[in-house]
Amino acid sequence: MKRFGNLLSAVVTASVFVLLLGPLLVVIVTAFSPSDFFQFPPTGFSLRWFADFFSREQMRGAFTLSVELALFASSVATVLGVMAALATVRSGRRASGFFQALYMAPLVFPTIILGLSLLMCYRYIGMPVLAGLAIAHVLVGMPYCFRATYASLQSFDTSLDEAGQSLGASPLTCFLLVTLPLIWPGVLSGWLFAFIVSFGELNTALFLTGPGVTTLPIEIFGFLQFDGGQLVIAAASALQIAMILLIVLVMERAIGLARMVRS
Amino acid sequence: MRVARPFYRRPFFWAVAAPPLLATLVCFVAPLLLLFYVSFMAPSSTQLFSHHATLANYVQSLSDRYMLLLIRRTLGVTAAVLGVCLLLGYPVALVLARMQPRRRLVTMMVLLFPLMISNVVRAYGWLEILGRNGVVNLVLVKLGWIRVPLRIVDSFEAVVIALLTILLPYMIISIANSLTAIDASLHEAAESLGANPWRAFWQVTWPLSSPGVASGMMLVFFLTLSAYVTIALLGGVQYKLLVSAVFDAVSTLQWPQAAALSFILLALALAAGAVIQLLLRPHRVQGKGRAQ
Repeated sequence: MKRFGNLLSAVVTASVFVLLLGPLLVVIVTAFSPSDFFQFPPTGFSLRWFADFFSREQMRGAFTLSVELALFASSVATVLGVMAALATVRSGRRASGFFQALYMAPLVFPTIILGLSLLMCYRYIGMPVLAGLAIAHVLVGMPYCFRATYASLQSFDTSLDEAGQSLGASPLTCFLLVTLPLIWPGVLSGWLFAFIVSFGELNTALFLTGPGVTTLPIEIFGFLQFDGGQLVIAAASALQIAMILLIVLVMERAIGLARMVRS
Repeated sequence: MRVARPFYRRPFFWAVAAPPLLATLVCFVAPLLLLFYVSFMAPSSTQLFSHHATLANYVQSLSDRYMLLLIRRTLGVTAAVLGVCLLLGYPVALVLARMQPRRRLVTMMVLLFPLMISNVVRAYGWLEILGRNGVVNLVLVKLGWIRVPLRIVDSFEAVVIALLTILLPYMIISIANSLTAIDASLHEAAESLGANPWRAFWQVTWPLSSPGVASGMMLVFFLTLSAYVTIALLGGVQYKLLVSAVFDAVSTLQWPQAAALSFILLALALAAGAVIQLLLRPHRVQGKGRAQ
């Protein structure tokens, strides 16, 4: 009975990994395809679809905007998230509970509704497209920065901070010289997660992108809906995967697997 | 949690606390309140909405046959996704919980990686697999099992498969976290007291893991409801869900209608969350049976 159970869970585990990684593998293999349309098994190897991707101004623009937006949004989200975490740790029990609920809310809140409410608001006050999109990306990334920093701060000995301040350092000096060096792995992991989330963000961006201001995921989505199955999409998708893989490797080097999985 | 020590001087505390608080209130809470307000306003042909309070947006949505069909479909799809997620996710979580810490870490990373890739890329991957000229059809034709490619996309099954694989990691990791926290000696105690493995599982492991199961299910449910892109790509124009209706209302500029529909979606999410809590009652084991 027990052996049957073990065998069963091994089979299920194997099939789950195939289900999870299969679509990504298919995309990567397709991106290097030399043929005009999707073929399986692949017939050869070429980089023509990557060349095609970079020769399309719109796709190149979307890729650049996505990188810029993710850099900007994750940095702002990190500053705000660290501030939020500091204030939450320093608050009384009730205020701290309120702050935690408020700052974690965008994480579980259906992002479609968030996107729609922002769009409505922007239309109401006449917000420029790019600024509006950036605000949404900051909002979506903030919970990750908050959570990672907050977790680091909880194992941080506040008496160190008190010592610094009682020795005459200003709160800001104290933060920069004492707190930040000790909690930086949390801050960094929050920043990188915010980058990843912003780079793949779909639900709010669907409402908030406009003509000339399109991110890579939205460009891929639009292309799939209206132009059908050209393989340049596979190249675009493979670039998305490569970008995330790069960040994951950076993260592994900088903060280790354990912290990455925990946050 | 540690007892907080409010030793910061007041002005400095507020200098740190105010910016994120203001940003969240202005950019997150205020727009939601506006959306809620608009959902009770009459539509207008010249502006976003006209300032006449009405319940018509909700009444119309909830009495429209097509909307009711979409709501039923949404519930059907989420129920299927949740069920299969649990069936596939639990065994994997068990395997994960039994691994050595180092191996578990690496495996969890492999599970987390697909989560970091944009949903549109993963949906595209499924289109290449399930589509008319996709992997499945090409292989089946080559094997001679079918002559004409099957039509798999634009259906309940395609949407469920794609959503399932997008959301499985959340379920697995959430269950695995609560499984690894269980004190292994409890299970041994049950077995040494004569319980067979199944009984030990049902009476010890399963109840103790229910907080993880509950939070995994809530996450999966919430994310399924708003996974528009996956649904649009694999369901096509034929197989729409409630979230597609929100989009259609926006693209035809029916703002109050879209607002009302999104709050119906939210109500659905909250109701489902309450049902999950009620069924699994995770709070009854909160903090019990933890490994030291």
